[in-house]
Amino acid sequence: MVRRVWREDFRIIGYYTGLITIGVGLLMLVPMVTSLVFREWASAMDFGLSIILTLLVGYLLALVSRTRNTPGLTHAMVIAAASWLVAMVLSAVPYTLSGHSLSLLDACFDTMSGYTTTGLFLLQDLDHVSQGLNMWRHLLTYVGGQGIVVLALTFLIGSTGGGYKLMVGEGKDEKLVPNVRHIAVQIWRISLIYLVIGTGVLGILAITGGMKPQLAFFHGAYIFMSAWSTGGFAPYSQNMLYYHSLPMETVSMVFMVLGSFNFALHYAVWTGNRREILHNVEIVSFTITVLTTFSLTCVALMQRGVYPNAVALFRRGFFQLISAHTTTGQSSIYARTFVREWGPLGMLALTVAMAIGASAASTGGGFKGMRMGIIFKGIVTDIRKLLSPERAIVVGHYHHIRDNTLTDATVKSAAVIVVLYVLIYVVGAVVGMVYGYPMADAFFESVSAGSNTGLSCGVTQATMPTLLKIVYIVEMWMGRLEFLSVFTLFGFIAASFRSLRRQKVAA
Amino acid sequence: MKRCAAACVAATTLLLVLVPGHTLAEQPPLVTTTDLVEQSASWDGKIVSFKGEVLEDVLARSDGTWMNLSDGNNSAMGVFVPKAVAMPAISWTEDYRTIGDTVLVTGVFHRACVEHQGETDIHALSVVVVRQGSTKDNPVQRDRVVWLIVLALALAVVMWFYYHKPSENWGTHGNP
Repeated sequence: MVRRVWREDFRIIGYYTGLITIGVGLLMLVPMVTSLVFREWASAMDFGLSIILTLLVGYLLALVSRTRNTPGLTHAMVIAAASWLVAMVLSAVPYTLSGHSLSLLDACFDTMSGYTTTGLFLLQDLDHVSQGLNMWRHLLTYVGGQGIVVLALTFLIGSTGGGYKLMVGEGKDEKLVPNVRHIAVQIWRISLIYLVIGTGVLGILAITGGMKPQLAFFHGAYIFMSAWSTGGFAPYSQNMLYYHSLPMETVSMVFMVLGSFNFALHYAVWTGNRREILHNVEIVSFTITVLTTFSLTCVALMQRGVYPNAVALFRRGFFQLISAHTTTGQSSIYARTFVREWGPLGMLALTVAMAIGASAASTGGGFKGMRMGIIFKGIVTDIRKLLSPERAIVVGHYHHIRDNTLTDATVKSAAVIVVLYVLIYVVGAVVGMVYGYPMADAFFESVSAGSNTGLSCGVTQATMPTLLKIVYIVEMWMGRLEFLSVFTLFGFIAASFRSLRRQKVAA
Repeated sequence: MKRCAAACVAATTLLLVLVPGHTLAEQPPLVTTTDLVEQSASWDGKIVSFKGEVLEDVLARSDGTWMNLSDGNNSAMGVFVPKAVAMPAISWTEDYRTIGDTVLVTGVFHRACVEHQGETDIHALSVVVVRQGSTKDNPVQRDRVVWLIVLALALAVVMWFYYHKPSENWGTHGNP
């Protein structure tokens, strides 16, 4: 039985969504300052306007629904899902004001793509956008990777009783330390340390590659944020091709892999448990699936003779595969090269890699290595049970930070989420095919959106059908929040209408 | 009518005399990024002409220079100019506040370049600046300034209520 929805429920949801919105408004200060530094006055004005509008909405929400009650699990789920939608719309204002988005829907597509660390974009004339807007695009992926709620928890909300539930609603369900604010702080500490290292290394490589020093470190920061957050954006439309640099691609690939690892794994390694790298189920799963899908990619590329030698095949093929598997979406080839040269088998290999995706509680998307490992171990345990004497008790285990017992409930819950992912992949692909896109292209793009990867084979363009844009936005949103909070939001809306009807009948 | 025909014949003759024959005969086809990516196999290894705006960074390397040329909306191609090829002075490169020089490159297109580990690029044989870049106006719009002031005033009022007038019944509601 679904419980009734009370006014206080709306207060709690409104209040916390308001606080998160204020956080988004404050975040826009970074691109505004960037624009001021580069003397991009019109762009700075756009961000100023956007900041004030976002803060106004946030403070209004917080004011009218102010409460001291803390969120329960249902509220937390609804807050997470709703705040992502509010953030998507308000963060799209600078895009719209810049004139580089053809419509608010296109701008929302780009911001949802940014927050969900997808990396698909509909922005027009990307090669001529301001540094401020470029900073905003990459900051969205950086914050989205860590989680908007995690950011709000760190700086605005504090150690509320419902804090951990809020993080769970956003897909960050690893309890690194007992205090929720400290979990958020740990996540940000890890990310910020990597930001400094990544920006420095990539900036220096950019300078040695011939870039202007004053811009090199900005590019370093952009590419780091894109890689670490498994976002996939880049400041220019050629993406990684712009730099013509093997060292930058290599370093970026390292950060993609690091970003795709579970925060709990990072925390374990940082606190001295280095052996965890060798035993963690997600690392084992990631290694196996990378080797499998890369083998498939090599077969496809060699069959068609796409690259002239093994070095070229490895540089292009492995980079694209890692980019797909970590759900980053950075690219060192043109989008249409997938269709024109890689062919169906090459695209299939990348589609499978994207679908599997990164680790749980990471910045990445997809099924997640943890679920793949659990399902695989579940199958193995079932086979062992069948082969063992009837009286034997067969128990499966998997290693994640500690040895965990594999229960039927764990396997079922992993399988349910995987089925839901498959469902959104198929729905997106079917809509694409209805609009006339070839099956391989439609699946590639749909899986890319649903797994928050962002590689494109050319389907995602401003001219694509409106419905397809909306479907991809929903796929990105659901895929990033891992369904439950989105379903809870839908259920909450339905329950609200039911409660309203009951009130009317009673009156 | 006769005068007109005579003028045409004279003009054509003059053109044939002034323009060297090999220029007309060997001018490689002008292609776009879309042409090269969509029909990469058919252009592979051929000499092409490519025209585009020089993007922000001209990347000087030990063996040559990389330029990225934008030839349309989200469409650009990497051009490698080897040390042996004369590189003209690029005065303007693309920026938010500038339009980069437009250059015409004649070079060999590589679908998957051996020298650059599979990169899709053009190796230039000649580079000519065909149009100088310029500054670009990005004026602050006055109506946005007005909106900024109006919204800022509204925000100040809301923030005043939020921080100075906590509602008396704040937190007295029961947990649902």
